[in-house]
Amino acid sequence: MAGALVVLGAGHYGWALLMAEETWQVVGLLALAGMATIAAYKTGFVRRVERDWAEAEPQLNRLAFAVLIGLILVLAGSHFALLMISTVLLYFIASLGLNIQFGFTGLVNFAGAAFFGAGAYTAAVLGAQALIPPLLILIAGGIVAMAISLPLLVPIVRTTGHYAAVVTIAFGVLFRTFLEVNEILGGPQGLMVESMKLPGWDFYNAPNLFGFETSFYLNYALMAAGLAALVFALFRRLERSWIGLHMDAVRLDETAAACFGISVRKTKILAFLLGNLILGVSGALYGMMISFIAPASFTFSDSLLLVSIVLLGGLGSPWGGVVAATIVVLLPEKLQLLQEYRFLLFSILVILVLLFRPEGLLPRHLRNFFPNRRTGA
Amino acid sequence: MDFGLIAQYLANGILLGTMYALVAVGFTLFFGVLDVIKFSHGDVLMLGTFIGFTAWLGLEAVGVTNPWLQLAGVLLCSLAGTALIGAAIANWLILPLKRAPQLNTLLITLMLGTAIREAVRLFYPNGSNPKAFPALLPDASVEIGSFALRADSVILVVSGLALIGALNLVINRTRLGLAIRAVAQDEETARTMGINYTLVVLATFAIGSGVAAFAGIMNGLYYNEINFGMGLILGLIGFSAAIVGGLGNLYGAILGGFLFAGLQVVGSALLPFASAYKDVFAFAVVIALMAWKPTGLIPERSSDRV
Amino acid sequence: MKFNTRKSLRAVVFSVGTSASLLAAVAAQAKDTVELGFIGPLTGGVSSMGLGGRNSAELAVQLRNADPNSKYHYELVALDDECKPNVGVQVATKLATDRKVVGTIAHYCSAVAMGTVDVYHRFGLPMTVWGAVLPDITYGNDYPEITRVNGTMINQNEKAASVMTGLGYKTFAIIHDTTDYGKGHNTYLTQFLTEGGASVVGAFGVTADQQDFTAELTQVKALNPDVVVYAGLTPGGVRVRQQMEKLGIEAVFEGVSGIKSDAFFEGLGGELAEGTMTFLEGAPAEKLPGGAYFLKEYEAAGFDSPPEAYGPFAFAAMDLLIDAVEASGPDRKAIVEYMGGVKEHASITGPITFDDHGQNTVALITAYVAQDGKWVVWEDSEYASGARKLVAPK
Repeated sequence: MAGALVVLGAGHYGWALLMAEETWQVVGLLALAGMATIAAYKTGFVRRVERDWAEAEPQLNRLAFAVLIGLILVLAGSHFALLMISTVLLYFIASLGLNIQFGFTGLVNFAGAAFFGAGAYTAAVLGAQALIPPLLILIAGGIVAMAISLPLLVPIVRTTGHYAAVVTIAFGVLFRTFLEVNEILGGPQGLMVESMKLPGWDFYNAPNLFGFETSFYLNYALMAAGLAALVFALFRRLERSWIGLHMDAVRLDETAAACFGISVRKTKILAFLLGNLILGVSGALYGMMISFIAPASFTFSDSLLLVSIVLLGGLGSPWGGVVAATIVVLLPEKLQLLQEYRFLLFSILVILVLLFRPEGLLPRHLRNFFPNRRTGA
Repeated sequence: MDFGLIAQYLANGILLGTMYALVAVGFTLFFGVLDVIKFSHGDVLMLGTFIGFTAWLGLEAVGVTNPWLQLAGVLLCSLAGTALIGAAIANWLILPLKRAPQLNTLLITLMLGTAIREAVRLFYPNGSNPKAFPALLPDASVEIGSFALRADSVILVVSGLALIGALNLVINRTRLGLAIRAVAQDEETARTMGINYTLVVLATFAIGSGVAAFAGIMNGLYYNEINFGMGLILGLIGFSAAIVGGLGNLYGAILGGFLFAGLQVVGSALLPFASAYKDVFAFAVVIALMAWKPTGLIPERSSDRV
Repeated sequence: MKFNTRKSLRAVVFSVGTSASLLAAVAAQAKDTVELGFIGPLTGGVSSMGLGGRNSAELAVQLRNADPNSKYHYELVALDDECKPNVGVQVATKLATDRKVVGTIAHYCSAVAMGTVDVYHRFGLPMTVWGAVLPDITYGNDYPEITRVNGTMINQNEKAASVMTGLGYKTFAIIHDTTDYGKGHNTYLTQFLTEGGASVVGAFGVTADQQDFTAELTQVKALNPDVVVYAGLTPGGVRVRQQMEKLGIEAVFEGVSGIKSDAFFEGLGGELAEGTMTFLEGAPAEKLPGGAYFLKEYEAAGFDSPPEAYGPFAFAAMDLLIDAVEASGPDRKAIVEYMGGVKEHASITGPITFDDHGQNTVALITAYVAQDGKWVVWEDSEYASGARKLVAPK
């Protein structure tokens, strides 16, 4: 019950936040969220929610998806709200990719925006060719992102911790500089991206729902929601599978994992490629939605934005990722009211959150091998 | 290529290398004692340079015009101020997060860097524009063919290297250095031996930040221009240099700093009319080096506890 | 909780600060309120340009609101595009889908404008560019919604090439940043210089936030050109000029419109800046009857940052947009139609006439030279009269 209540409440809150225009509304909503969280902890409501979640996760996940679709349909007419929802969802998908890499396996990736951008650029280049079906382009985006990460495999597998970080940082800077000095891919000026087309369904046109005029972003919001659900399900499966177990083992102690016969190398390669695939797919859809991309959108600081979603949400925690993606995407947008002061405030907010919740907003719990069985305490 | 050109490249490379090494030393020190990466290092450096600049404005205002006196004042204010800031960051932002995942420290310091940068941009008078940093060093130069060796460059390189040398002495020859090394090796044992852990950590952060401020002032004196974004790229390069050289090792930081400067200079000298590719080149080499030497050119002496 | 309240308090203080003037004005009069947009980079590296533009647009709104003859009360909605195309598309969508907003002026960064023109067209929001100079923004499409008051980089470089070759300079080395701005300038300047019989002996692409140009300048020194051109914004220009001195390069330093700011002198000091050439669209503000008025009012309004090179254009664009609302009412379609017929419209940057792509065709370009810590119109300077001399051609 408590779990369902939270899901419904969150959906309603999301609607209110998206609709909030005036300063006092935004500030009020933020204060409300803060107070509700504190109240939930003081009254022990949080523990009940957690228990509900442990008991009936599949049902609650389905409910959350239904609430999301409901939210999208309620907002079917407002372009901007749908654009924000789609952006949050795509960043969330990207953060799942990163979570496989460093939430599970402990592989640091500071070039998230580069792989995300590789997907978007693939969409731009392939979209210009009329012959290739756009749904295939999404997959191609993922595959290209995976392919450009191949040269990094050797250094990534051999290095650990901060040393791995510098490899990806270097790659991120390299990727962006390369796009900028190179005219082939539009140079610093960027490229147009064709919109998504399914057979008989052009995403450029607004769908007509029962004679009710909607936004063309509805297409993307629904598609992003579907993709998010798919990747989320995959993520959960992976976590429960033996591969996920291997990944956890590699993160916690490489030497011990190797002693138990887990191939550290294979596990790392798998996590790195799979994560980049997901990043590329979400990047491709993002490119199609934004319809224009340039190197300036895929910089080191955009990679950091992705990393901060993962860390704010809590390592390896997909639900934390949802909350964090909402904060990271929506908050700077809502802080537009503050104009030039907004980044200062945003960075201070993140620092405060991390000081008071060092494990992230919704930390990942220990593995639960019997999801439907009641655990002790 | 004639002698003058080569000499010019060499002189530039050495100066850049010294600057990068000074920044990298900070990263390596922090990593040594706490196993953390403090990403706001570059922005703290920028803040230090602005403190120095403000000190110079103050000295001008009260009528001190002797350049050497001004230089002393600028360095004193900047180094002391930045050291204090570094210690404060360690005390309130980094030590409290000691038990949290390492990456959190990274994120929190990244955000702190953004906050510092934005704050300087917004609240320093006219902070979004570059400032003219005074040339306080003698600008005499010796012409050797087509190459002009400038006195200020020489002074900057010599004093930068001297600072690194002094730091090395502090780490290896003093009681404080002994304590820092002890903490770096094993925190718990160091505590039981009666070392004031918190104090040592704070001292290390103060020293590292002070050294970075020196690099910032050096940057200002050499380019005669400072701006709120100068720390970002210096921090990134310093970090890469520290990693490539091998963390937790002063020599590694120095090696990494000079290596990176060398790569940049070689990249722009040997890739004619495509100097835009020099960063692509430098970072590609960094990736290749990491594949070859996964723990840096001078690896940490450590073994995994099994 | 302590931090939470403090945070919200601060948020309230900030926002009250920005909207206080508007609220006061609303209370004073009972006219219908019309919302107008402004988009530009308010955070990050080129924020000084964005803030200058924002303040100038704000000034145009304030002045009109103070005018008792205006039909409406205007409100400015200023948004930050961070100079990033994806953020630009986001905020453009926000403005364009907000029914209360009837028109906007937007963008300093060309790549952002390229990404957002489709959004404005799609939602029918009239948009006037106040700073971005890439020709394709107006010429790359047939959207009636898109207009531009400032000139393109084509006009600017044509003038630059003719002035410099006219002074007898033959060899040029170009250092350009690898943004669309720097690269575009490099392309067009090279084209016009070559047509004018001069030669470009070297071109060097550098990143926009590069600190050290010694490597490029060392090669420039070996090439020994008459003129060193920097195509980029003020911070880079300051560094290149500074480092030319370090390496002892004897040549004229020429910039593009991006360095024509007061910050150039602040970053360089008067002595080194002396004799720097640059070019900017429009006549200097102080030379126009409305220009002196603009500078005086800007001063009087007490903004904490200067208008910068494109402030007058932002002011002119906003003023034009307000004129459109006054003439044809707060309706997007009517404003688009009005913009299509703008001819010889008086503004502080000179008369505005839009061609069939919405580009202001009266592309008056003025040459400036740095003299005693100020930008002086070339024709009025002591350099043109012969009292002072630029570095002579080799």
